[in-house]
Amino acid sequence: MGYSLNHRETNALFDRLAAEYKIYAPKRFAKQGRYSDTDIVRYDEIHTAEEIVWDQKSDFSAKEVLTPVTEPIFYFTEDEYRESGAPKKKILIFLRPCDINAFEHQDRIYLQNGGFCDSYYQRMREKTRFVLMECTEGWDTCFCCSMGANKAEEYSAAVRHTEEEILWSVKDEELTPYFAGCQEADWQLQFIEKNQFAVKIPEIADKETLAKLKKHPMWQEYNDRCVSCGSCTLACSTCTCFTTRDKIYSENAKAGERRRVHDSCQIAGFDAMAGGHGFRTTPADRIRYRALHKVHDYKARFGDYHMCVGCGRCSARCPKFISFPAIINKMSAALEEIAAEASK
Amino acid sequence: MNCDINIKQLQKNCWRQSKVPGEFMLQLRVPGSLIEAKHLERVVYIANTWGNGLFHVGMRHTLNVPGVKYENIPAVNAYIKDYISQVENEMCGVEMEESENGYPTIGARNIMACIGNRHCILANYNTQELAKKIEPLIFPSHYHIKIGMSGCPNDCGKGQCNDFGIIGQAKMDYVYDRCIGCGQCVEACKKHATGVLAMTEDKKVAKDACCCLGCGECAVVCPAGAWVRQPKKFFRITIGGRTGKHTPRLGKTFINFATEEVVLGVLGNWQKFSAWVLDYKPVYMHGGHLIDMAGYEKFKEMILDGVELNPEAKVAQRIMWAESEMRGQINVIPIGEHPVAGPQQ
Repeated sequence: MGYSLNHRETNALFDRLAAEYKIYAPKRFAKQGRYSDTDIVRYDEIHTAEEIVWDQKSDFSAKEVLTPVTEPIFYFTEDEYRESGAPKKKILIFLRPCDINAFEHQDRIYLQNGGFCDSYYQRMREKTRFVLMECTEGWDTCFCCSMGANKAEEYSAAVRHTEEEILWSVKDEELTPYFAGCQEADWQLQFIEKNQFAVKIPEIADKETLAKLKKHPMWQEYNDRCVSCGSCTLACSTCTCFTTRDKIYSENAKAGERRRVHDSCQIAGFDAMAGGHGFRTTPADRIRYRALHKVHDYKARFGDYHMCVGCGRCSARCPKFISFPAIINKMSAALEEIAAEASK
Repeated sequence: MNCDINIKQLQKNCWRQSKVPGEFMLQLRVPGSLIEAKHLERVVYIANTWGNGLFHVGMRHTLNVPGVKYENIPAVNAYIKDYISQVENEMCGVEMEESENGYPTIGARNIMACIGNRHCILANYNTQELAKKIEPLIFPSHYHIKIGMSGCPNDCGKGQCNDFGIIGQAKMDYVYDRCIGCGQCVEACKKHATGVLAMTEDKKVAKDACCCLGCGECAVVCPAGAWVRQPKKFFRITIGGRTGKHTPRLGKTFINFATEEVVLGVLGNWQKFSAWVLDYKPVYMHGGHLIDMAGYEKFKEMILDGVELNPEAKVAQRIMWAESEMRGQINVIPIGEHPVAGPQQ
């Protein structure tokens, strides 16, 4: 069912929803950007439509709502422990189609991968409902269309934002009662069909080709360019890696908490093992690992889609202007080279 | 060459004497070292019409046109009326009478500044915007003052070589929950700044706030947005730096973490202080000499007169100057030639 609400009415709707839901959306944190007098846009709880940033891609993804950067999972003292509390309210997240598709990957890794269901993720996820923010233009770092992630079906409501009003299309019956008395409106949700940038997805024929691609000189430039800071993966909407850390309360060394904290395969030491061993010791190794994971390995394992949804946050956040779509295209070009070499 | 030229007067009008008799170099002020590029067309015109076709990037970020003949100076002075009016009055809000006689004084030297946070990824404030607020406080005045402004404690704007350095600082907030414990801020602080950050046992970051420069390197390198600059801008004010043949020295910190109001208050008092020290005769001396003549305590008293310090501001209790004693040349004179203490033969 479609509705048209002006901003004041939307805020009244948010007030009604607040009894049952916490609402999260991309929000502006003024002057908190990496550089002086720049802003950061990231997910946080909002109470009014005015707080939602519509005209800019969030720097960090919506995954932070379900898996906060630092999340206490249990508290311990001597031989007892207690799990951290589950969210009491349901969660509504405003996000774009690429981000909804990204949650499919989050769900798979946290809920199904290896036959294990992560209860901390699950308890958040089952309370979460998506509000799709219509996205028809995108930004210059977007390549969702190339990744087939420009459309999404898995949402409870969809919204179109204009200067005067917010158009709602409500699918979820749980939400319908909140719209009682709202002005109905007939409108058709649109999806972006073409990004400013298209990527050519690499098709890796066999293991031999994969081995050649791994050794291809294309990766070498990243030893000079990449600083292994991890900005790309922390902003990534599909990355799920975390580590666990214990906080021992200094006043009582027998009590503390275990947290999980986002981690990144791009930061040196991520793959450190006992005895000082590591698999990927250079920035180029780490970039290659990430790139292959996003557009080859994941699909090879699960069979359906590539992991990358083309949200482009990795490129947007990279302080050294390393473009991920450019990496993907370089991979495709390298594969053509490898194929030409093989057919000689 | 037989001209009757009042060199001193010309110098006051921002004309510099050349070794070639009868030639002078024009110095156009660029407060904050940034102006609209369209003004460069005027510089090209002056250089090609009255100069020798050359252009010099001034050492205090002025636009210098050498090789102007004495007899052409009135024409150039008339021509730069619009430049002065647009840059000084319109851009900086200096309320100067428009004149065909060129610059009225050279006393307050051009405020030089790095590009600041309009462009630079390390800078903590907009140097030009603050320079524009400072310009009307110091110019036009026959009392000399040299100011260098830098967006961050790297001090590319060479504030420490000036009477006053205005160096951008940020008070940092640590968003504990956003920190992933990667340690990049700790490394960056150690490498580029004062090494006040350390990893804690639980892989978060602890800070020794006392020695933080406020440079913001931690925010620049943090991949997670865990370090953020507080919105309020702060400045380290350095004083008494100078180049020169006699006793060059780097400036020393006068106030750490001063607000903009304090910066403007201090610089607003400079003319009063200079006048008092020099017995109301504006002769050219580096500001540091004036501070030395008055003594730091007297300087502090007069320069902070009526200035309400912000709570974060820390004022130097004393200053240990460290001149390069060019006159002594201790470092290059053989030991045997050093002055000897005690009874001489």
